[in-house]
Amino acid sequence: MAKAEENVYTLASLREHLIRQEDTIIYGLIERAKFPSNSNTYDDKYAQIPGFSGSLVEFVVKNAEDVQAKAGRYTNPKEHPFFPENLPPSNVPSYPFSQFLHPGPASININKSIWKMYFQDLLPLLATSGDDGNYAQTAAADLSLLQAISSRIHYGKFVAEVKFRDAPQDYEPLIRAKDREGVMKLLTFTDVEETVRKRVEKKATVFGQEVSLDSDNDGNGKRKFDPTVASRLYKNWMIPLTKEIEVEYLLRRLD
Amino acid sequence: MLRFLVSVLVLASCKEVQKMAKAQYTVDSARACLVRQEDTIIFALIERAKFPLNSPTYNHTFTSISQIQGSLLHFFIRNTEAIQSKAGRYTNPEEIPFFPENLPPSVAPYYPSSEFLHSAGALININKDIWKLYFHVLLPMFVASGDDGNYAQTAAADLTLLQAISRRIHYGRFVAEAKFRETPQIFESLIRAKDRKALMKVLTLESIEKMVVKRVEKKAMVFGHEVSLEHVKEGTYKVDPSVVSLLYQKWLIPLTKNVELEYLLRRLD
Repeated sequence: MAKAEENVYTLASLREHLIRQEDTIIYGLIERAKFPSNSNTYDDKYAQIPGFSGSLVEFVVKNAEDVQAKAGRYTNPKEHPFFPENLPPSNVPSYPFSQFLHPGPASININKSIWKMYFQDLLPLLATSGDDGNYAQTAAADLSLLQAISSRIHYGKFVAEVKFRDAPQDYEPLIRAKDREGVMKLLTFTDVEETVRKRVEKKATVFGQEVSLDSDNDGNGKRKFDPTVASRLYKNWMIPLTKEIEVEYLLRRLD
Repeated sequence: MLRFLVSVLVLASCKEVQKMAKAQYTVDSARACLVRQEDTIIFALIERAKFPLNSPTYNHTFTSISQIQGSLLHFFIRNTEAIQSKAGRYTNPEEIPFFPENLPPSVAPYYPSSEFLHSAGALININKDIWKLYFHVLLPMFVASGDDGNYAQTAAADLTLLQAISRRIHYGRFVAEAKFRETPQIFESLIRAKDRKALMKVLTLESIEKMVVKRVEKKAMVFGHEVSLEHVKEGTYKVDPSVVSLLYQKWLIPLTKNVELEYLLRRLD
């Protein structure tokens, strides 16, 4: 992570960070896959928590974010809450995180879309059907994974800023013309995207395997989760949503 | 026809019994669970190592001007455990809080938890010792010095790792109960005699322990190396695999056995 004084983000350093985040996300997928779908966690008719209307996962995430906010998490421009309304302010001395992003679009937060994608699209692919009663732990695993996914996607703002600074003359006319398609085309590198998808699948296979001392058994089909879920997550949602953020950010870059 | 219907009903209710947090533990199933927990612990070590030491997280004077009592870490863990408790986490006897005093009760719907452990031993909680071990011995071993300002995420990573370690060690109660049930005659006389040495000898299977230590080192290499499409970057790991094997050899395995021992000593109460 760059220190406050280092306002030096480059495309290479950002890509390195994104590569490290792949591991975090895959560990998060594996740890969530440890639990079955435990659908009661997501059912607000099941929870019936006094004084709270919503599901157990909403209860856990909202309250956890309150604690994390007081602990200063969201003063870091790389962190985004899922429930920003009425979030308490930080209770700790402020840390001089670098002000690298352009102020207006710096506040872009698409967590509502990420939340929907996570529960409607990803979870059905990831978790096997079933119930083991461990709803609180399931919600905690969801929160970790949601945060990792959100962090990766919103990193698009930093990527966009670096791309803009590297070639403002290319982006400015497209931004002024509000040419979304043009901007999207300019920031898309399909060969890089394919490399990412392949690497994620390889990592998911490696990290998701059952490792035993009997080396004949390694990668012998026994695994903790389906590695194609990780590459689908990246291909269908992570990469497109990251680029969407890049476009949204750039369209407001000259405001 | 009636017998068929009855057997279908029995099968259906057996599934309900299974739903009750695995009411039947065996030595084999407990060992399988411990093996899976190795991965959880190693992932958590790797994720904590992502951050430098970030010592303000642990420093009482850092938070002294705010409304926060104690260090940021204390604040974070106490409050996060309170939320988890309300959500029902600690109704599962496999989960043990670090701050059990004043923990709020669960407000989630009642879920039947397993009635596998003997009541006296079920209450064993050595989290205070695990806490000390974590901060004074373990953390300095695998975390780089430095400060990146991400104290809240650091505290979150600490909690995840602490919970994984605590869960592994306290699983000793389930291992002990399963061992006791399999061969009560071996244990009963030793327990009545309060013969700690002999009990520990029965609990110790050196060949298995050696395998565990080797396996976690291998896992740390597999999960912690840089995976790229071109080549395998030899020798660079996100956490030093020898730290992981040392963690197991010097602390996780001995502390788990201590818990097994303490559990068994109370088994006939």
